[in-house]
Amino acid sequence: MTEQFEPSKLVELHNVTKAYGPLTQRPQVVLEHINLTIRQHEFVSIVGPSGCGKSTMLRVMTGLTKPEDGEVYYHGKKIEQVCEAMSMVFQTFALFPWLNVQENVEIGLEGKPFSKEEKKKRVLDMVRVIGLEGYEEAYPRELSGGMKQRVGIARALVSEPEILLMDEPFSALDPLTSTHLREEVLHLWENPDLPPEAVVMVTHNVEEAVYMSDRIIVLTARPGTIAKEVKIDLPRPRDPRSPEIYKIVDDITGLIA
Amino acid sequence: MTIPRAQIGTVMGLLEVLHDFKGKVDLAKISEELRLELDDILPAVEAAKLLKLIQVSSGDLILTNEGTALLSKNISGRKKELNKMVSNLGEIKGIIDFIKKEHGNEVAKEDLLSFIRQEMPDVDAEQTFSWIVDWGRYSLLLRYDSNNQKIKLAKSPTTKST
Repeated sequence: MTEQFEPSKLVELHNVTKAYGPLTQRPQVVLEHINLTIRQHEFVSIVGPSGCGKSTMLRVMTGLTKPEDGEVYYHGKKIEQVCEAMSMVFQTFALFPWLNVQENVEIGLEGKPFSKEEKKKRVLDMVRVIGLEGYEEAYPRELSGGMKQRVGIARALVSEPEILLMDEPFSALDPLTSTHLREEVLHLWENPDLPPEAVVMVTHNVEEAVYMSDRIIVLTARPGTIAKEVKIDLPRPRDPRSPEIYKIVDDITGLIA
Repeated sequence: MTIPRAQIGTVMGLLEVLHDFKGKVDLAKISEELRLELDDILPAVEAAKLLKLIQVSSGDLILTNEGTALLSKNISGRKKELNKMVSNLGEIKGIIDFIKKEHGNEVAKEDLLSFIRQEMPDVDAEQTFSWIVDWGRYSLLLRYDSNNQKIKLAKSPTTKST
């Protein structure tokens, strides 16, 4: 029997509709009839005009918020509560100012059944991998934006999530720093020893999405529906100024604008 | 002035942009591409020049062999390289010697500030201290604990480069 190899499905959204406000009155529909599958070894980006429900989609995926209609599945099982196998990186870093780098990263292991020593070991390993070695005792106020976001990424990765969700992770950084951090994140992604089986990134920056992703989900303005899925088969490292990239960026921008 | 006065991320980002442009590009072009004012790029340019990672020649930025080599390394390798580069900068050397000789590898922030004020009267000492701490931490040269306000020499990096 011949069967084509298909990477396993990690998360599935089936006909998801998300609305705010009571359904009996006039709800604000944020996402409508979303069907989406995230597979193993995929870097997926979600792009769309502001207010189209990009970030809400991440929240629905993790089970942080429930859809009004439709289902979310993780490994074929319906998600009923917050999914522990996913962790999130935030645009504004979301660090605790009174905790140092090491302690902020350790927050990612809260509630995990590891001994104190084991936690420390995992935290320090991740700190090293992410380039924060030397900053262990630094507090957020002593860090540049780029270093703060590294802490955010280390905290998300330390629990070895199966899926890494990133909500506009580079938007708060200056263009040079974001160029650098994007590169570092791609290096981490290519490292087979690191846990995430898939990355889902929300961004309003189409060039960034095209440069980094295997697949891009383009959402329409509110209520967000999927306008198009674009597969990007270009090998990495990609040249952000190549005509191929330009063309895809152009096409997607045309869909959004 | 031999203390880099730009964030490490911006210096590395600049090298990556240069690399994308095959190692040589006009400064004005970078400014246009990144939609950044020249004033926002110049600190990174100055720091990269100081570390000999780039050369500047009539408006063009050129990635040096050292710059290319640094980019080709992983994070630990970069820290190791930068450890060498940073510790060879004149003013940083002076500061390392100061910490070593006077204070048994550890010195209070106040003492280092006095040293900076005395040796570099033209600079903002607090700001300079922050740059020293930032580059010192990244390159695993110095450690600083803001709880007890002590800065000390780090043990030499044990990380492997690739």
